[in-house]
Amino acid sequence: MPGPLLGVHDLKTQFFTPEGVVKAVDGVSFELNAGETLGIVGESGSGKSVTAMSIMRLISPPGRIVEGRVLYDGRDLATLSESEMQGIRGESIAMIFQDPMTSLNPVFKVGWQVGEPLMLHRGESKAKAFASAVSVLAKVGIPSPGDRARDYPHHFSGGMRQRAMIAMGLTTTPKVLIADEPTTALDVTIQAQILELLRTVNREFGTATILITHNLGVVAGMCERVMVMYAGKVVESGPTEDVFAHPTHPYTWSLLRSIPRLDAERHEPLKPIEGLPPDLIDLPSGCAFHPRCPFAIEKCSRDVPPLNRVGDAQLAACWVTQSGTELPHA
Amino acid sequence: MLKYLLSRVVATIPVVIGVTVVTFVVMHIAAGSYVPGLDLNPNLKPEDEEAIKRYLGLDRPWPEQYLTWIGGVIHGDFGRSMIDGSLVSRHIGDRLPATLELTVTAILLGVLISIPLGVTGALRRGSKLDHALTAMSVGGFAIPGFWLGLMLILFFSVQLQAWGLPFLPSGGVMTPGTGGGDLLDRIVHLIMPATVLSFVYLSIWSRFTRSSMLEVLAQDYVRTARAKGMSERRVVYLHALRNAVIPLVTLVGLELPSLVAGGLIVEVVFSWPGIGKLLYERAIQTDYSTVLGITTFAALLVVAGNLLADFLYAFLDPRIRYA
Amino acid sequence: MIDPIAVEAPQVPAQPVPAHVGRSYWRAAFSRLRRNRIGMASGALLLFFVLVALTAPLIAGFITHTNYSSQDLTNTFASPLSPGHLLGTDDLGRDTLTRLLFGAQVSMGIGFLAVFVSLAIGAAVGLVAGYYGGLIDGLLMRFVDVILAIPSIFLFILMSILFKPSTVTLALIIASVGWGSIARLVRGEVLSVRTRDFMVATRALGASDARLIIRHLLPNVLHVLIVFGSLYLGSVILTEAALDFLGLGINPPIPSWGNMLTNSETFFFHSRWLVLWPGVTIFLAVLAANLFGNAVRDAFDPRLR
Repeated sequence: MPGPLLGVHDLKTQFFTPEGVVKAVDGVSFELNAGETLGIVGESGSGKSVTAMSIMRLISPPGRIVEGRVLYDGRDLATLSESEMQGIRGESIAMIFQDPMTSLNPVFKVGWQVGEPLMLHRGESKAKAFASAVSVLAKVGIPSPGDRARDYPHHFSGGMRQRAMIAMGLTTTPKVLIADEPTTALDVTIQAQILELLRTVNREFGTATILITHNLGVVAGMCERVMVMYAGKVVESGPTEDVFAHPTHPYTWSLLRSIPRLDAERHEPLKPIEGLPPDLIDLPSGCAFHPRCPFAIEKCSRDVPPLNRVGDAQLAACWVTQSGTELPHA
Repeated sequence: MLKYLLSRVVATIPVVIGVTVVTFVVMHIAAGSYVPGLDLNPNLKPEDEEAIKRYLGLDRPWPEQYLTWIGGVIHGDFGRSMIDGSLVSRHIGDRLPATLELTVTAILLGVLISIPLGVTGALRRGSKLDHALTAMSVGGFAIPGFWLGLMLILFFSVQLQAWGLPFLPSGGVMTPGTGGGDLLDRIVHLIMPATVLSFVYLSIWSRFTRSSMLEVLAQDYVRTARAKGMSERRVVYLHALRNAVIPLVTLVGLELPSLVAGGLIVEVVFSWPGIGKLLYERAIQTDYSTVLGITTFAALLVVAGNLLADFLYAFLDPRIRYA
Repeated sequence: MIDPIAVEAPQVPAQPVPAHVGRSYWRAAFSRLRRNRIGMASGALLLFFVLVALTAPLIAGFITHTNYSSQDLTNTFASPLSPGHLLGTDDLGRDTLTRLLFGAQVSMGIGFLAVFVSLAIGAAVGLVAGYYGGLIDGLLMRFVDVILAIPSIFLFILMSILFKPSTVTLALIIASVGWGSIARLVRGEVLSVRTRDFMVATRALGASDARLIIRHLLPNVLHVLIVFGSLYLGSVILTEAALDFLGLGINPPIPSWGNMLTNSETFFFHSRWLVLWPGVTIFLAVLAANLFGNAVRDAFDPRLR
């Protein structure tokens, strides 16, 4: 069986600010197989976006990848030169971003922008790239793509812009598509459409997809595997079904528990996670989640738990569950 | 876009009317009528004066006189000189090309130099080079234009000549006798005045370009561009710059009155035969009506220039062009 | 001459100040200003010029021992550092240093006066236009548009041949054009403050228009005036010097930095220094004013760095 498409090993990305060193990504490792859908879940500040940006080598000063390897196609992306990396970005690994309203350049036609990766990476002429762009726009469900390609971004609605962004990522049929909160800025009804589109893309093009979100529902509907991040580290990962049914890390457990349920009693209070996200410059000792953890034991405040196998393909970084204790039903 | 342009044109109408009203009022305060100088001729008998006044419509009520004035302006008649009765519009016609030559060159020079300076400052933000450029900007803004002109003349015309080196002419559009056909001669005459005129604007525009560029570079679409895997150069010069220069156009438009004003000083220092120098010469002679006529014209020129800037802006920004 | 608002307009308060400009806001701004070293240094330089302007006769009396008009035709175009003349003399043997000292009176005097008057008129117009809105606003702002369309120096020249300028009238002439940009700025600020809760509440208590404008709106736009004023000062000094240079402002025998340069081309061969000193002085004064103005702006709106 071929090895993983993308292998991230102990990635550490830090930001050197006047207030201190922000450990945004603090030893993250995971693998992505061809055609797979992986969800990365976490709160703001958990390091999920920075992880993606690190893979793409889009981290700018004062941030820097300080350690780790990002293996793709036999090469370590972390050590490639900038021009080598430019050959990979938008060609083999594509990334789309959160806010479609501001992610397209207002002064260029949509068709030109969508076709630009072909001009850059395949040396196609403007006309040919434009034509290809039109067909990709059709595939992502934009009506009258020939006309719309000649329009400017301000003529497009939010949902259409996000489709255009997805089209832009797909023109070179990349092996990996990273989508950073692609639906967060959209209306709920459009969200569903975009997610459906991403599912289709994954099925038909075989593009491995990393979906970054803070929304567990999105992950449930879309991703085969999920990775939960907290304070720059991976705290749990595994097949989505397993992780959701049997969360083995208190954080995942608390997240699932905090989702309001339609079938709950009316008078039942909501169950938020107590406390605030940690300061990434001044992390708590030991397990970063321990101040907010309902199951914390003494060891948690002393030592950082490693990722441990807790199921067939499930990993969790927790002292409590590692020892075999099961968490109550979420 | 047509709607936008039309609305811009319509917006200028009140300003044009306002300008003519202001100049008309000032003219009355200054000289008693918009065809002044009548009272000054000692040979004029009272009856003749009355006749002339009636002929010129000066006994009509003010509003009617104003209409005559604005009617004249619309037809390009900006009044007559108090000194010699010559048509102001003819003087303007003679001198305008020189002023346009100077102003347009200064604008082009300013823009062509400011953009690279601004972009460099933005790309190397916080570096020594950036600080040096900012310092130069702040300093340049404080230098009196007329003094800079004097100093340049002092060195490039006088001192170089004294040392027997090739030197720049200290004034005029061309060397007398060449008839204006020699391009090199004209350029040589144009260098110093255009440099002085554009100098202050360099300071302003380069800083502005820098901040505009910084703002654009922080935009999401720049991140998208990088994610597509293009060289940083392409990101900056194709995707970012195209957006960053749009506000600069508006700024240049806003500075037009000031450019025309600065042009006057430069024209005087360098004996440049433009409408600014004309105004100055006539002002010394207290030729109120010519001064007013030229002022009116200059104001209209500024309004036209602003309109041009609006058009250019509409052309550059697709959000306006294809609303 | 150079309209700072065209430069600074994108940068001067784009966002409104906290709901009600309280004492803590001023205190924070002043402490930021104090900490800005370049700002404080240029402020000190500016203060130096002001002091020189105020004490010129004293300095002349005690240090240079001459008057600005005392001629000495036997000692024309003396070089700097010649006895009794630290910076040399001019074509009529007048001491350059003394003339510069008195020139400070002109520049600083007209500069500050013009700025204050501009601010006063501009604030009044802006407050009224912004507060009342509607037709009044439309008319006033059209008027401002007209004023700003006419190149200022043309207007200055026109007015200076109409009203023979003394120091005060020249300041008023410059102010009569400069208030336009301020009015626009103030109006903009008023528009954003006008709809705030405290305004509506005070209105509901029965406060009259005048009271609302003066006691409640004005304090909230004061910071705009301060910032603009400090940035405008340098521009006024330059404009005034240019007018003097053209011979349409303050004329000899009263020395001003500008008129010391009038017709100085004729001096080139006799003394380069004569062209140098007044220009350098203008440059330093304007630089000080501009840097201080920048510091004030940064102090009141640190976001806009």
